[in-house]
Amino acid sequence: MSLLLGALTLGFIFSLVALGVFISFRIFAFPDITADGSSTLGAALAAMLLLHNVNPVLATSAAFAGGFLAGTLTGTLATKFKINGLLAGILVMTGLYSINLHIMGRSNISVLGSSTLSTYAERLGIALARVHNLNVMGWDITALEASLLVASFLFIVLAGCVMYVFFQTNLGTAMRATGDNNEMVRALGVNDENMIILGLGLSNGLIALAGAFIAQYQGFSDVQMGIGMVVWGLASVIIGEALVGTRQLGLSITGAVMGSVLFRLLVAIALRLGLNPNDLKLVTALFVFLALIAPGLLKKLNILKLQSSHA
Amino acid sequence: MLEIRAASKTFNPGTPNELLALQAVNLTVNDGSFVVIIGTNGSGKSTLLNAVAGSFCLDSGAIFLAGADITKWPEHKRAKLIGRVFQNPFSGTAANMSIAENLALAAYRGKPRRLGWPLRKHLVSQLRDRVSQLNMGLEDRLKNPIGSLSGGQRQALTLLMATWLHPEVLLLDEHTAALDPKSADQVTALTDTIIRRDKLTTLMVTHSMQQAAYLGDRLVMMHRGRIIQDFHGAEKQRIRMDDLLARFEEVRAPNYSTRAPPRCCAACISDKPSSIIIAPTQAK
Repeated sequence: MSLLLGALTLGFIFSLVALGVFISFRIFAFPDITADGSSTLGAALAAMLLLHNVNPVLATSAAFAGGFLAGTLTGTLATKFKINGLLAGILVMTGLYSINLHIMGRSNISVLGSSTLSTYAERLGIALARVHNLNVMGWDITALEASLLVASFLFIVLAGCVMYVFFQTNLGTAMRATGDNNEMVRALGVNDENMIILGLGLSNGLIALAGAFIAQYQGFSDVQMGIGMVVWGLASVIIGEALVGTRQLGLSITGAVMGSVLFRLLVAIALRLGLNPNDLKLVTALFVFLALIAPGLLKKLNILKLQSSHA
Repeated sequence: MLEIRAASKTFNPGTPNELLALQAVNLTVNDGSFVVIIGTNGSGKSTLLNAVAGSFCLDSGAIFLAGADITKWPEHKRAKLIGRVFQNPFSGTAANMSIAENLALAAYRGKPRRLGWPLRKHLVSQLRDRVSQLNMGLEDRLKNPIGSLSGGQRQALTLLMATWLHPEVLLLDEHTAALDPKSADQVTALTDTIIRRDKLTTLMVTHSMQQAAYLGDRLVMMHRGRIIQDFHGAEKQRIRMDDLLARFEEVRAPNYSTRAPPRCCAACISDKPSSIIIAPTQAK
């Protein structure tokens, strides 16, 4: 039961990564891999500030701001300096590795014992429910687990709604149009470069936010924790698209969140069944590879079927 | 008023692919004038339009529009004054976004994009009104993605978008060239209607001799980065397709020099019987 709750909670937290990847890859069609660095940046910033007894809300906001800056940097390299988008992301991600080490002072710091959003959520949960342990269908769960699940769920619903509304405002519409057809938005008086910079900022801000939440959820920040973040986010987005089967904005956002949760559940089940955790990234990469080529293969298969039925 | 002064542009300078796209081109277009630009391939007509739109910076020369020196303005800043329709129907619209969203983007052309709501009630009813004037039945499909429409429908909508906020100059770059003949006629008629109704200052590049002969009040012919002929007023109205085709044959001749003065005016060539076969794409 804790495994299930943990998977759900992580799924909700990781959906911020999925939403970030959705913005860069789907809305802007920009292969941004800054995420691997910006998620760690978020975790490092939040953990460091928490260790210095900064208010957790403030520390988490700082993580968002840090990720936002990292994203705008990638965007600036790609637009103003005309560096290939993939390379711009690699440059920023590589640079961030050193910056993250500097922020933390070493490769791994613990925030256990500090007041974090997790302890806030637990206290609030206990205050509201007035119990320390719950019994759900014969399973004992702690107030901490339940509170984190509810809090992460509520937060992601809020984030999804804000994003849904934002991308329908004048600014958001211009951003979506930039990803769709930048020639057109320039002809309509939009500075498409600024849209990309701002969009990547938001994307990496969300991803850094996820990093900050993960650090507070697991109780530590590690300089390696961001590796594979882009692929995880992409896997969630792809699963989400398979679930909702459309590119419509609201459904896509819901799909990305659902995809992230489902992906985390699958991971939890696979680990439970004995998958070596070291193989997790390889399996995920293979999964994304298969998901990317599947539509093309299905099309070919259909053509073959049609041909054989006509023959 | 649009004024292009001694505009020059060389692409790939110093390489074997060097192209003198514009060679000190001067062109002054009065308010409300509808200028049709024709020319051989690579003559610089599209380059001239792109120079006005700001797709690249001129090597030398200046461009003034509505009293402002826009020579150094970036493309998106010029867009405040300029409406554009491209040759490719896919270029002018965002395929994955709805008809309403595309039009709303155009309704805010040149204005800062903030957190306001674009599809307000009065704008939506205005959209419905103007779209229904196209007589394409699109007013009931405002929420459909534009990518689901035909090229002709997309070009008609792009035209509507480009002219939504009365631009200081409208740039049409072979905007019917990629359409089937029936859609091309439809979009051409719509173009003429809108330009006459709104008295829009317009530059239109075309390869269709039919459009060149029957549209606009001024005809400019370009060749090798220069304007070699400029027909105004009554002279423009007298021009027939055959005259234009004959003139094309003349400039294509190997010994033709762009420096030579025009040998013939429209009035005299229009009397010649035509022996030139009209290319299929230009025939009605």
